[in-house]
Amino acid sequence: MTLAKKPYKKPLAKKMYPYFFIMPFALLVLVFFILPAIATIIMSFTDLNASMKINFVGFDNFKRIFTDYSMPQILWNTVLFAVITLVFSLFFGLFISIATQYFLKGKLTAVIYRVLWLIPSIIPAVVYVTFWKYLFDPTEGGLINKVLLLFQPDSDPISWFTKIAMAIVIIATIVSTTSGGMILLSAAISSIPEDLYKAAKVDGASEKSVITKIILPSLKWPLMYITISDLIGFVSSYFFILLLTNGGPMRDTTTLSLYAYQQAFNLKYYGYGAALSLLVVLISLILTLWLLRLFDFDEMIKPSRIED
Amino acid sequence: MSTSIAKKLLVHTYMLLFTMPIIGMIIWYFLSATLNGTTGQFTLENFNFVKEPIEYAGVVLPAIWPIVLNTLVYSILIVVIEVGIAVPTAYAFSRLDFTGKLAAMKFLFLMRSFPGITLIIATFFILVQMNLVNTYLGVILVAITGSLPGRVYIMKGFFDEVPWDLEWAAMVDGCSRFRALMKVLVPYVLPGIGAISVFSFLGAYGEWFLFKLFIFDDNMLTLAGYLSRLVTKENVILNYGLITAIGLFYTIPLVIFYIFTQKIFLKINMGGAKQV
Repeated sequence: MTLAKKPYKKPLAKKMYPYFFIMPFALLVLVFFILPAIATIIMSFTDLNASMKINFVGFDNFKRIFTDYSMPQILWNTVLFAVITLVFSLFFGLFISIATQYFLKGKLTAVIYRVLWLIPSIIPAVVYVTFWKYLFDPTEGGLINKVLLLFQPDSDPISWFTKIAMAIVIIATIVSTTSGGMILLSAAISSIPEDLYKAAKVDGASEKSVITKIILPSLKWPLMYITISDLIGFVSSYFFILLLTNGGPMRDTTTLSLYAYQQAFNLKYYGYGAALSLLVVLISLILTLWLLRLFDFDEMIKPSRIED
Repeated sequence: MSTSIAKKLLVHTYMLLFTMPIIGMIIWYFLSATLNGTTGQFTLENFNFVKEPIEYAGVVLPAIWPIVLNTLVYSILIVVIEVGIAVPTAYAFSRLDFTGKLAAMKFLFLMRSFPGITLIIATFFILVQMNLVNTYLGVILVAITGSLPGRVYIMKGFFDEVPWDLEWAAMVDGCSRFRALMKVLVPYVLPGIGAISVFSFLGAYGEWFLFKLFIFDDNMLTLAGYLSRLVTKENVILNYGLITAIGLFYTIPLVIFYIFTQKIFLKINMGGAKQV
């Protein structure tokens, strides 16, 4: 009687069994994610530099952020780069996915356009940037200068990378990130039932109202996801900038995250770099929360009242 | 009818306009690599780097074949390690009960959306303390920690799709839990393992940033790291023919790989859409 009532107790070996499966992953995460996260916070309170000696300096690094004379320009660059790149890559992603999934649905040309747009994101970054370097090459060997020289044979080649460096970085990033949004948006549009379009046509709806009343409302989720992940990406990563201009000329294309990288790895101010990194994390966090609020996240995860 | 043709024409005009730079880019890569810069004649001399060490910006570059070997070794190592860690982890998250599982899964989700690049400064410091700078082990550990959360997430989706009955049937027939995993579940999630292998390979093949940061020895570079050194060596690229030739040499196998594995991508895209 009492034996049957006794609840089953897992032996210790069985309890430990699952941990054995996640052990390698957990160890990696501990050493190369949690530890660096804690180290970043600690380092931001030290003046760690090339000598690799830890010396606590309190809030000096954070005070330095506010007094850094290049900070206004860097913050402005970050905003400019993130906002313009986001707006245009969202616009192109939307345009291409509506064009290929609604206007040219099922056509071979639609597939060709989409594959062509995928190519910039498939090509490795190191190869991709060579094209932009060639296009805007400051000598007469560059494509744009070559074309300009055809029209004005006696003019000097223009040094594009000193004049419009930020625009070049932004264009190159837009062309390569558009495809990510395009894939998600295309998938969302293709899942809209055909009957909806037909019903709209029967009711005499214009193409404009089909797009604004049927297609766009169904894209709220993917648009939110793309906006948040792209924005965090643009604020925190700097791969194209590093390859294209290395932040130059002067600091014209240096964004906040690249500035952190340069402070740490070029100037060896690891402490200050860590403090700047913390600022990047903070900005990403605030942006995410703000966007979730803007997109009415709570409203969106409420169950639908029509279906079921 | 004519309005619909006019509309199609308009759409095509815009699409062609937007797509033109990309078409131009693809054509340029091939022309630049195979034409002589001054005479404009067809030549393969830009591809001489496969035969002999060549000179760029006044420096003799390391021979290409050891670098190709490095690339293959590094990529295959990454694939093996990532699959070897992601599969058991995803299995535990999908099938086993343990204390802290929910918290661990929330943490996994947070890790996926966290801008991991911001931790690179502290990671560098930790690698210095562990004496792992300028070693493959250091690069591999950092690289896989960054990409594993995504792989585990995909793999967990595949394990979730397998009906429990299969595993129960195997265990009723006398399999241990581990044997059931290896003999019954793994064959069932093979497409998922294929998918994460492809993603891992592509990630490893394109990795240049960690090599730029953590590897100082030119003979240890992979193709991506090697090209990134060339592209950023001077402010201006001095010999586009050579750089695009190496670029094509590096990219064409990748494109072929894409063509053969595109079915896996379709599968993942659909699975992903369902999960969102």
